[in-house]
Amino acid sequence: MKKNTLFLTLKIFSATGGIEKVCRIVGKVLYENTLINSTRVLVCSMYDQQTDANDNKYFPSEIFRGYKKNRLRFIFSSIRKGFNQDVILLSHINLLLVGWMIKKLKPSVKLVMLAHGIEVWGELGWVKKTMLKSCDLVLPVSKFTADKIISGHQFDANNCKVLNNCLDPFMPIGNEFLGNQDVRKKYGYREDDKVIFTLCRLSSKERYKGYDKVIQALANLKSHQNNIKYLLAGSYDKEEKKYLDDLISELHLENEVKITGFIDDSGLVAHFAMADLYIMPSMKEGFGIVFIEAMFYGVPVIAGNKDGSVDALMNGELGLLVNPEDVNEIENAIQKSLLNNQSRFTERSKMINNFGYEQYKQKLETILLN
Amino acid sequence: MCRIAGIVNFELRIEEMEKNVNHMCDLQKHGGPDSSGIYTSEEKNVVLGNRRLSLLDMSDSGQMPMQYCDRYYITYNGEIYNFKSLKNELISLGHQFKNETDTEVILAGYAQWGVLVFSKLKGMYAFALWDSKERELFLVRDVMGIKPLYYGVQNDNLYFASEIRAFEGIEVLSEENKSWPIFMMAYGHLPEPITTYQKIKPLLSGCFLKYSLSNKSISIQSYSHLSFSNQIEVVDSAHYEHKHAIENSVKSHLIADAPIGVFLSGGLDSGVIASVASKYKETELNTLSIYFDEPEFSEKKYQDILIKQLNCKHHQLLLKEEDFHNSFESILQSMDLPSCDGINTWFISRYAKEIGLKAVLSGLGGDELYGGYPSFKRIELALLIQQMPDFLKSIGKASASKKLNRMSYLKLDGIQGIYLFLRGHFTPHDIAHYLGAYEQEIWTILNDEPNVYSLDVVEGKNKASWMEFNLYMKNQLLRDSDVMSMIHGVEIRVPFLDEETVRLAYKTTPQIKFSGSRPKQFLIDMFKNDMPTEIWDRPKMGFSFPFSKWLSNSSFVKDKTNIDNKNLSSYYNKFINGNLHWSQLMSLIILNQRGLN
Repeated sequence: MKKNTLFLTLKIFSATGGIEKVCRIVGKVLYENTLINSTRVLVCSMYDQQTDANDNKYFPSEIFRGYKKNRLRFIFSSIRKGFNQDVILLSHINLLLVGWMIKKLKPSVKLVMLAHGIEVWGELGWVKKTMLKSCDLVLPVSKFTADKIISGHQFDANNCKVLNNCLDPFMPIGNEFLGNQDVRKKYGYREDDKVIFTLCRLSSKERYKGYDKVIQALANLKSHQNNIKYLLAGSYDKEEKKYLDDLISELHLENEVKITGFIDDSGLVAHFAMADLYIMPSMKEGFGIVFIEAMFYGVPVIAGNKDGSVDALMNGELGLLVNPEDVNEIENAIQKSLLNNQSRFTERSKMINNFGYEQYKQKLETILLN
Repeated sequence: MCRIAGIVNFELRIEEMEKNVNHMCDLQKHGGPDSSGIYTSEEKNVVLGNRRLSLLDMSDSGQMPMQYCDRYYITYNGEIYNFKSLKNELISLGHQFKNETDTEVILAGYAQWGVLVFSKLKGMYAFALWDSKERELFLVRDVMGIKPLYYGVQNDNLYFASEIRAFEGIEVLSEENKSWPIFMMAYGHLPEPITTYQKIKPLLSGCFLKYSLSNKSISIQSYSHLSFSNQIEVVDSAHYEHKHAIENSVKSHLIADAPIGVFLSGGLDSGVIASVASKYKETELNTLSIYFDEPEFSEKKYQDILIKQLNCKHHQLLLKEEDFHNSFESILQSMDLPSCDGINTWFISRYAKEIGLKAVLSGLGGDELYGGYPSFKRIELALLIQQMPDFLKSIGKASASKKLNRMSYLKLDGIQGIYLFLRGHFTPHDIAHYLGAYEQEIWTILNDEPNVYSLDVVEGKNKASWMEFNLYMKNQLLRDSDVMSMIHGVEIRVPFLDEETVRLAYKTTPQIKFSGSRPKQFLIDMFKNDMPTEIWDRPKMGFSFPFSKWLSNSSFVKDKTNIDNKNLSSYYNKFINGNLHWSQLMSLIILNQRGLN
């Protein structure tokens, strides 16, 4: 008897955020499961086009359906397909209505929802709360998100299983960048400069990643250590760029802070490889995949202690956790990390044992299909 | 090109493990006649074995299993055609090499890129790579599924080999798969992942199996796959790109330090390969072909036309019926997994060996990629019937017509139903009757496996291409080619299955690649100026032998079928009266050969 899974998503290939990354990996897990077990999977995206899946490495486009923003078609088609399914997996709470309808029409289906971060932390209306309760299982990406769901939405803790995000199995190892000075040269860094790196979207609407606090901490550090450089990477909007430029100029950090803009995947590894420290004292991370990516490339990390980042750093076992609102604490953590003689991250095996693709795959298969 | 085997075991003594691996290698000795080797890990729970057929760097430095940096070890079967460019890249990254083999490039590539190296390898391969520091063993198989690799797991212990016969002495994996005769009778072969053993599976193409010894966990992952995408929509550029890719592929497939040739059937695909090869081969090209006394099967006329044009050294064998009768028993014994075909490959490979060739290029894959089979025309109708109510599909159940009879297969969902309708051997009704089982049981088993995803979004003729490529070519043609060539210690190379060529075909719209009045018109248009008109402007024959006649005259077959089994003898009579295809009879002979009547 074949077990069928329908994986419903918003976007998978047409955006590059953390949620999309998770969706691609989940798609791969489900596809690989069909190769060795009697299972079948169909991955549907409300916003992607069918052609967005062309040449993707994660799963054959034959098991993918892109509905090109046609919400109604997506909803009706999902409900129709839902009748033949054993498991419905929702990638986002915004798909709850579809999942709920399928569950109403076919109660035997196992309804599972992934919960990432801020989208489930806030208040939910009673309709959504009711629909949420129809889920057989919710898979939050961190304990932080799990707590929010259980306490905030009175969801049964027994049906809430934390499934931490994992490393992308197609991430290059980056051996060729070890000791490579090209990127440092490109930014004019000297050999003895200590480079702190942050990679995130710089958005005036969000502004919770904490990079402005890092800049402030840097101003304090500059007085007694002038070889610390801060490289802030990621796409930005005009307003945020202006805000940051003003802040940098106000603190006289023009020589210390560089804002690079968007860096594509091919350039990312080289940036991670040359960094001495990755820092992102964020306040609203669901998990923070970027932390485990930085650690994968041997970069020590600093994260905030008030969100899902705590899981990514295994409660501080893998890196330093700071109060993201406290500039002094950030400053001390940077100093401590950079002073540490062991300048590279040394707990790689432990990190991979917890956040490796294989471990993730095994957990998800056990949760969904057994 | 070699045969490989190995064991990971936490219970057996090391002497026992080595003995087992040596035995597994010996059972595959035919595929690696030049030398043998064994590697035992320091912690004494991993043993890798190899039988080598040398084609590149035939010196002792190419000896296997091979190591790199005293950390990475490999036992390898295959050819990597882009190994020289990968080697240059690795040298520029600081790697040093001790020999001229592609094997060492895989090891250095793994040291550099980890598992991402697998998708960089272009060629045909199956290997086991042991990282002694991380204590991880990888089994890896090429994307097209050209080279085989089977494995079995029992209580954290892993066994693997290139052929099923190598598992003969492994008692813990000896449980028979009771369903295999059903698949054999339905398909004429065993579709992946079915084997004759319950616990032994093929590693699927484009996948790797990772065994982490530290936590005894096994993970199977896909590192590359093929998907249709319709990205190439302009005829002219499609022509240019495909022709360029095929020429490049043939060129790279000619790399060898041992004598190599091209098999000429007389048809289009092998004609394309031979004419391109003759252009690029630096020394005189060896070609070989088989012809018969039976004029309706002999393609000698076409072979001669092509030979005349090519600058080559041609070898032609007249295969006589008597030779078939003398060899038939050996052919049956040569088979690894049961298959109703492969006899033609057995003869051509034996001939290649006799004339001193170690590798032969074949035109396999052209029909699947460019629409050479009747299924490309028939699939639309089959899809239409599949949509009809089940009772209509059963109408022909009792009919003597094989086509009407097989229509019941369209009750199966998806592409398996279509495949069995177009290519199936016996119907579930006949299978149940022959094996003494319930028909419903047969339907359930055939419905459950192979587990193929829905092809709803794939256009009609691409569906046929997918079906022929994945169900027919991989399960039947490639397996037969590998087994029947390696039994003679000869390697068959398949330039049409070069990754770039296949990916191009998958990206080209069906309207372009299946256009025209003739089957494979697109391929003809690419190469018609390079070969005589008679080769492309002729009816398709396939690579057929006069098996019906030969099997009818075979006293061996007569004796085999004339036993206390009414079923078998009645089918034999049907065959003699012309009411059963020779390949169906072959399936029954193989069941009989393996103790099932």
